[in-house]
Amino acid sequence: MGMSYRRYLNGARIYGCSSCKTHLATIHSMISRAFHGQHGRAYLFDGVVNVIEGEPNDRVMTTGNHTVRDIYCCKCGQTLGWKYVGFLPSTVLTSSSAYDRGGVQDRAYEASQKYKEGKFILERNLLVDVQ
Amino acid sequence: MRLTEPDQESAVSVQLDTQPEAGPSSVAGSSNGYNGSTAKQNGYSNSYTNGHSKASPTDATNGGGRLETQTTSITKVSLPGSTLYDDSYVDREEFVRLIIQSLRDVGYIESAATLEAESGYTMESPEVAEFRRCILDADWARANAALMRLGVADDERLWEAKFLISQQKYLELLEANKITTALHVLRNELAPMNVDPDQLHALSSLMMCSDPEDLRQRAGWDGASGHSRRRLLGNLQRYIPSSVMIPQRRFATLLDQARAYQQSLCLYHNAPSNSRTFSLYTDHLCDKNAFPRVTTAILEVHTDEVWNLEWSHSGNFLASASKDKTAIIWRVEHDKDPSIRDISPQFILRDHPYPVGCVAWSLDDSILLTSAEHFIKLWNTRTGLCVRSLEAHTDVVTALAWLPDGSGFISGGLDRKIILWDADGKQRDSWGQSPIRVTDLTVTPDFTRLVAVGMYDVPASGPGVTATPENGNQSGAGRSAENRVIVYDLLTKQPQLFIPVDGELTSVEVSDDSRYALINRAPEANAPCEIHLWDLESERVARRYLGHKQSKHVIRSCFGGVDGTFVASGSEDAIVYIWHRDTGTLLEALPGHGPGSVNSVAWNPQNERMFASCSDDHTIRIWEAPPTNIMGVPDAEEHSRQAHEADGKGKGKSRERWDGQATGTSYGLGSSSGSTLL
Repeated sequence: MGMSYRRYLNGARIYGCSSCKTHLATIHSMISRAFHGQHGRAYLFDGVVNVIEGEPNDRVMTTGNHTVRDIYCCKCGQTLGWKYVGFLPSTVLTSSSAYDRGGVQDRAYEASQKYKEGKFILERNLLVDVQ
Repeated sequence: MRLTEPDQESAVSVQLDTQPEAGPSSVAGSSNGYNGSTAKQNGYSNSYTNGHSKASPTDATNGGGRLETQTTSITKVSLPGSTLYDDSYVDREEFVRLIIQSLRDVGYIESAATLEAESGYTMESPEVAEFRRCILDADWARANAALMRLGVADDERLWEAKFLISQQKYLELLEANKITTALHVLRNELAPMNVDPDQLHALSSLMMCSDPEDLRQRAGWDGASGHSRRRLLGNLQRYIPSSVMIPQRRFATLLDQARAYQQSLCLYHNAPSNSRTFSLYTDHLCDKNAFPRVTTAILEVHTDEVWNLEWSHSGNFLASASKDKTAIIWRVEHDKDPSIRDISPQFILRDHPYPVGCVAWSLDDSILLTSAEHFIKLWNTRTGLCVRSLEAHTDVVTALAWLPDGSGFISGGLDRKIILWDADGKQRDSWGQSPIRVTDLTVTPDFTRLVAVGMYDVPASGPGVTATPENGNQSGAGRSAENRVIVYDLLTKQPQLFIPVDGELTSVEVSDDSRYALINRAPEANAPCEIHLWDLESERVARRYLGHKQSKHVIRSCFGGVDGTFVASGSEDAIVYIWHRDTGTLLEALPGHGPGSVNSVAWNPQNERMFASCSDDHTIRIWEAPPTNIMGVPDAEEHSRQAHEADGKGKGKSRERWDGQATGTSYGLGSSSGSTLL
């Protein structure tokens, strides 16, 4: 909607989209490096710019069932990772049993996973250092 | 002499009021030529006024001169108080003297004399009249004497006045070839006056001139028979108190001030200043219905958001840039009536790899520049073909501006580069790394400055930046990119001004007098957004315009109307806002566009009552003053008609618009005749 310019970041180290070099995040907003995505290592970031978010999906991950939105580069459209949206409320359990991984982690309030809410995962292989 | 001439008696009133009334009376001064024809009237009124004339005639009238024994004196009317009306601030003497001066200037000498007689005020005392006559007749000695009696403020000014008189005398003597006398004047009058030696040298060198024509040219003087004496009088008046000798055309000056004041109050004023809309009888106020408030055309060819638009310099074409990777040149016959007008896409310029962000017409409208991401393309506007494609930028080109002489253009982008190109696309010069990522730039029409706005951040590498780095820029997510306005001197390419501004700056426009810059600002937090009018001379914000909304998108604004008296802007709430530039009042908030931002507004440079706006709803709207043949008083939402594109004949569906819902009729692309499409 409307025209807007891509945001630019500054910091000691800036990560950008591997195909179009759009700024995405700086090292200052990185929270953890200990994640894994489909392409290998991935980092958890606090704030990411110049991305478009997709629709929320439920996805199974090693840490459990999560609702995530895929994020795409705003210029070239490449998939970059995902964003943690929230957790399944206890009243809405998925009907398909394939998703049922065990009771404890599907609950609405999972304290150990709550820190991820609203944060972004960017796959390391899809990032480049930008100057 | 004028004062003592007995002229016609004043017929105070033909009605049989018994007394000559004090107060506003009409003096019927008839000119001398009518002497014979008013004989009858003479007889009638004579017997009437004779009985009432006071025993003491004024110094204006004396028995002599006329053969008719029935010539009466003009009775002087003495009035109580000294103001014009009982409750006014105007001094009666000043007022009457000004009227006398105006009457004399126009040529109604008799009326002026009658007025002087009746009121007892004289426009100027005999000394002043004498002085005036001496100057105009070049009677210098007596002029000097008269000058002494006129009450010049102090000695120094008296010397200056005398110098001017002597100078004129000297020049006239030289012109008449009386060299020795002129030399005498130079030595005895001009030299001892202690003036600037250079001036004295210049004057003495004029003696070398061989003939009068040469003298006139070298001195910049138009001769004794020209206007020089009158001009001398005008110059001398500066030394004489204005109550003694009234400044020339004073009444007209006062009326001009009144006119300027009324015009400043007229918010919708959109007419050229020498038109006949100014009358002394009523206060000037422009009709609101002559202001563009109504959509007269909706142009719906683009298939995605329209981001930018610009009128050609001739006002006949409109170029639009859109997210659908095309730019369209529209032909708009702006000087025809909306109902018979033809608006159609002349060319659709495809072949852009990315959405088109900017368009710019060359000065003669022969070349159109378009920018898409980092590509710049030059298009020939007559054939619609792309002439060149330029790829010098490494990041989005956000601004294109032609130089005021049309010799080239400047492009600026988010890669911090500002590049000067030739008109045929050769890179002439690069301005190096600008400290800001340019989001918009423009060149002032007087060719002295380049104003650029953009995001300021210190690049992580550090060296190679020309500006002083700012601290505090290393915030975590990089959200507080500070924005700046940088004004460069166009010739030296040196930055003159750095102005840090809070919030994001999205567009800049410069007024026609090159003094003001209009900058759109989107604030960081939920603060109200403003448009700033910056005064480039004093480097301050002259005015702010509030009311529109802008937070995430690039919204542009522009000057509009005759002399740029209006400011129009788009907004994220689909409303076009128009303010009065000098007072900042919001004049119009025009709804009508579909949901989404109104991205840009452009006022037609040749038609001050038409502007165009483009929006995220894929359309461009042309706004004009409500057509006068519409029934009733048009309302912006109800009666906007659109000019339908004709293939030369007949209208297709015309539709009424009610509340901005587009009902999907587009201009027939394939069926248009006469317009070439790519």
